[in-house]
Formats: sequence, structure tokens, C-alpha cells
Amino acid sequence: MNIHEYQAKQILSQYGIKIPKGGIAYTPLEAKKAAFRASLRGPWMLKAQIQSGARNKGYFLEKGSGRRGGVRLIKSRRDIIKNAEQMLGSTLVTVQTGPRGKLVSRLYVEAFNKVERIFYAGLVIDRVNAALTLLVAPIKDEDISQIAINNPEKILKINLDLDGETSPEQVQRVMEFLKLKPQSARSLETYINGMHRAFVDYDATMIETNPVGVMKNGDLVALDAKISFDDNALFRHPEIRRLQDDYEASERELQAARYRFGYSEFNGSVGCIVNGDGIALAAMDALRAQNTGTACFLNVKGGVDKDKIASGIKIIMTNPRVEGILINILGGFLRCNLIADGIISAASEVGLNVPLVVRFEGTNKDEAREILEKSKLPVIMADTMEDAVNKLVKAMEEND
Amino acid sequence: MSILVNSGTKVICQGITGTQATFHIRRSLDYGTKVVGGVTPGKGGEMHLGLPVFNSVKEAKEATGANASVMYVPAPYVRSAVREAAEAELDLAVCIADGVPIKDMMEIKAMLKDAPTRLIGPNTPGIITPGEARLGIFPENIHRPGKIGIVSRSSTLTYEAVLETSRAGEGQSTVIGLGDDMLIGVDFVDALERFHQDKDTRAIVMIGQLGGTFEEVAAKYYKEIAHKKPVIGFVAGNAIPFGHKMGYAGDIISNGHISAQDKKDAMEDAGIIVVDNINDIHKELAKLAA
Repeated sequence: MNIHEYQAKQILSQYGIKIPKGGIAYTPLEAKKAAFRASLRGPWMLKAQIQSGARNKGYFLEKGSGRRGGVRLIKSRRDIIKNAEQMLGSTLVTVQTGPRGKLVSRLYVEAFNKVERIFYAGLVIDRVNAALTLLVAPIKDEDISQIAINNPEKILKINLDLDGETSPEQVQRVMEFLKLKPQSARSLETYINGMHRAFVDYDATMIETNPVGVMKNGDLVALDAKISFDDNALFRHPEIRRLQDDYEASERELQAARYRFGYSEFNGSVGCIVNGDGIALAAMDALRAQNTGTACFLNVKGGVDKDKIASGIKIIMTNPRVEGILINILGGFLRCNLIADGIISAASEVGLNVPLVVRFEGTNKDEAREILEKSKLPVIMADTMEDAVNKLVKAMEEND
Repeated sequence: MSILVNSGTKVICQGITGTQATFHIRRSLDYGTKVVGGVTPGKGGEMHLGLPVFNSVKEAKEATGANASVMYVPAPYVRSAVREAAEAELDLAVCIADGVPIKDMMEIKAMLKDAPTRLIGPNTPGIITPGEARLGIFPENIHRPGKIGIVSRSSTLTYEAVLETSRAGEGQSTVIGLGDDMLIGVDFVDALERFHQDKDTRAIVMIGQLGGTFEEVAAKYYKEIAHKKPVIGFVAGNAIPFGHKMGYAGDIISNGHISAQDKKDAMEDAGIIVVDNINDIHKELAKLAA
């Protein structure tokens, strides 16, 4: 689960990390008030609160939203309202949102903090070593995504203990790597320990502050913040679960989440129903090899409730982008006959207007095939995934 | 021959009295797996599926001589279940549950560093040596004994790989699902190493997927070993146009190499036969046999 920048900053500030003075705004008028509360004379930062990186380099889809991106430096009072009007209710597209972008429904308005230099600081899980890893890098000409690819040696990586504090030696290594002045030492120690403790306390999977600013007096300030949490540990953190922004997800994503199904949307035309992420990825690969894109996939996992499965299938059948449906089930834990029942139940409620190819393998596959054959639904049966993809692509061409 | 489990492996089941465990342990017993008992705290002394139930793994091991455990306990209890298995010094623990918190897994990994216990999973279909032992949730009827070792991160693609061996007229020495989670116990390197030591494994099928760098690490290992068995590889996730991601930290930790194609390139460079379509695996297996 992801949260917004302002929420992440509030969490970090609980650990003593300095953040610019700011407030949240849902309307242009609120933006003006928040700005004056943060600083009387400015300048100010207007920041679109969508869950994505590179907002400053993004653009708005709407013509009236101006040419500037989702993070704007505002120098004069009269520009606050104008820019807030352009940003609120508009759709921001970044390299991380995909081409459809995300709706900006709130702004974070901050006092602009003058800093002498900036650096990147992130905390992440190193999967191969099962360790917590601190990442820091000075930022000058290249941004962090470019450094990661072109000059990975310019990023310091330090493994941290899961329990306890960052050691003074580790803090010293960061000091030297970033060539910070001694006056920043105490602030850096607070900063790293704060990220470290927040990460462990809240079961985070990623904390990123890009960038951190170094002020004239040596103090560090988080100019941006992102935190992702482990969905599987949210049961330990009801206060984090409450921060979930439903507007970040589409209606169909929310429905799927309600049934604990996996669901993702893309830009193609095929709806896939599968029972594992691996098989979903493999099906998408096989479709792409036939120049056919995926509109969405639903992972029903090891579902055992027939009604839930029917509801899941309905999500796919009612997605207007879907021009063909591929159901590829390798039953182990999941019994294929439940999927067959779910297909019939969903089709009877919302109708089946596009080609549907089904491939069953594993637990109760013969029973499942029989159920579908008896139903008289126009379902095309396939033996392998390859066979299923070929039959679906052909049926979709004929349907055009 | 096989790796990690065989007809001699004495298995206990942690959480044996649960519904899923009951369903799958019955199937494993029917398959011929030597399941010798179960553990459910508070139910020690009872019998279940004709097997003795114990209060702790330690008691179960002392009474039955068990050396492996398959656990069907829910995610929040996995950490303590694995700790028990490790403290009883079992050789192997197989964890089926999905949804184990990452922090718990980090603690488990740290705990297992100095323990004799190897963990498979979590979020895995388990491990099966056809005709000998089934620990997990595999649809056992698709497997048959043979010479191909299979190791996969994805559960469903494990089954797909098994079906591919059948299409090539081959069977499997052992099939391991590593698990779909961010952090896992046994990884590709462990599995490749053991398959290379196993005399009866002639070739290996390795199924990776987007996310993490497990495949790159395995490719590096394979490149460096002297006597190589043929490995056929597949990596799912080429068609993902962009990650639904936040921030850059994930890219940095993998040095910017994050795509399925990056993994395929690393594997090919190491001498692994990489297929673009998982349903081409049987063709490559047939070529190896010829």
C-alpha cells in the first residue's frame, strides 16, 4: 500500500526528521490559506498529491492546466490561486503513472525551503540478502533514476540491522560519502535513524526521500517523501490502513481488492482470468507475441468461494476495454469446476458478448469442461496456453 | 534419486488438524509420502488421519524421528512455526501460506542462518519427488518419475513446466516451487546446486519471473560452475509495459536492471537455453534427448 507525500512526511516528522512547513488543500481557496499559513511572503511549492515519482517532470492532460508539471514553484501571491485551479481536478501523467495518468484531487502547499545542496536517501529491502538496505547518493546533474543505470557506483548501499539503531560508524560512512560538513552530523544521525525506525515500526517495504535538502546551517530537510507498506502486515497497523486513498484505484480495482483477488489494468484488449501471477505474466507474454495486448488480469489465487469467483469474472466481463477473454487455470489448490460455475453464473447476469477461451488443467478439469459444455455457452475450449492464445486471437479477429 | 525429499523422508505436518492440512495430508498419504505425525498446540495426544498429534515439533521429532515438516499454518503464525522447526533441527521445512509479512521473513532468514533447517517458501506449492513424496499442494496426478529437475518461483508455472516435460515424454526427478514472495527460503542457486549433485537429474528447467534479482544471481552461479547440466530457462513478465511502481529505490537495488529481458539476457549469457514461450520448453527438452 502506498500513501501520499504529505502523509509520508507526517510519519517521518514523528521521528524527528525536519519537513518544510505546509498544509493540504482540496480547493484553490484552501491552497491560498495553506500557503499563507506556511509562509507570508513565499515563495511556495504547490505539489500534486498523486502516488507517483517524477511529478515535476509530468504534464497535465487538460489544455487549461498550463504547461508546467505537477510540482510548481510559486513566487507571487496572485499565482497561487491560478496554479491551484489549473492543477486541481486535472489529470497528471508521469513516467510512473502510465499514459492515462492520475486525477489530482488535492495539493500539498509548502513553504519553499532554500537549500545549499541535495541528495537522495532511500531505504529498501535487498531481496537476495534478505536485508534492509540504506541507499544514498549526491544529486547534481543527473537524477537518481539516471544515476542508478549510468553510474551505480555513485550510490552508497549499507545494510542495516532489522532491530536497533543505525550505528555511529554507519552514519559516519554516509557523512564521508556525501562529503557533508561536520555541522550536519547530528541532523544526519536523526535522519537516518528516523527512516530506519519508521521502516521497522510500520512494516514498510520502501521509504524514499528524493531529495533531501541541506540547509545553510547544516540541517537536513525532507523535501519529498514516499512510503510503501507491506500489505500483508497491515493487520498490525490499522492506523496506516486508514490512510488508503481509494481514489488512487479504479472502481474495478477496488472491487477486486474487496474479494482479495489480484487485479491490474493495462492498455490492451484481452481480459485474462488466471490463478497465479506467474501464469498471468506468461499469458501476457504469449499474447504479446501475437501482437495482442492485455486489458486487465484478474488473479483469483486459490479462491474456493464460487460466488466470489463469479463476482471476479463479472469485473472482467463488464470492463469496456475487454474484446476477448482468456481464462487459464492450472488447478492445484483451486478446483477448476468452481471457475466453470463462476463463468456460467457471471455470464447469466451480465451476458457474454465477446469471445471466451478457456483452458483448464489440474484439479477437477474434466468435471469443469463438462459443466461448460452442458451450459451451451459459446465457450471455446483449449488444451495448452499456447493453444488458448491462438484460438482467442483468431476468434477476436473474426469478431471484428 | 532426487533432491531434498524422497521415500525415506519422514514428514510431520504443522497445523495438521486444519481443513487445508487435512485435505492435503490425506492426499500426500495416499501418494505414499511417509507422513509420521502432526503438530497442533493443545491437541497433543489426539489422533488425526490415523496419525499421532503432538503439542510441539520437538516432541513430534523425538517420538517419530521426523526430519521434515510441511506447514499449513496461516501467515501470522509462520514465524513461530518456522522457529519451532529450526529449534528442533529438522532438515527441511516447507511453508505453503501466502501473505507472510516481509519483516517476519527477514527475521526468519536471519534465524535460519545458523540453523541446519532449509526452508522452502513461503507462498509455494511445495516440493514433490514423483512416486516418492509430496509435501505441499501439488496436483500429484500430473507428475511422473523421471530425469528432469524443475525449479520455479511461480506456483502455476511450476505446473505448466511439469506439463511441458510430459509433452516431451519425460518425467521429473524433483519439482520445487520456490515461492512467489519477495523473500524466500531456498533459492535458484540452492536448487541448481542440488540438482547438479543429483546423479539422476539429467537436465533442469528453471522458471523465473519479473521482480528481484534471484535469476541474475543464479545465472552468475551457473556461469561459474565447471560441470554444467543443461538448463532450460523461462522468465515471465516480458509484456509488462511499466511497473505500477512508486519511487526508484527498487530499481537502484537491482542497478537499474529490472526487466524480464534483463534476466533472460543474464541467463543466456551464462549458457542457459532461454525460451520466449513457456510452451516451447518441450521442444528444447526433445532436442536435449536427441
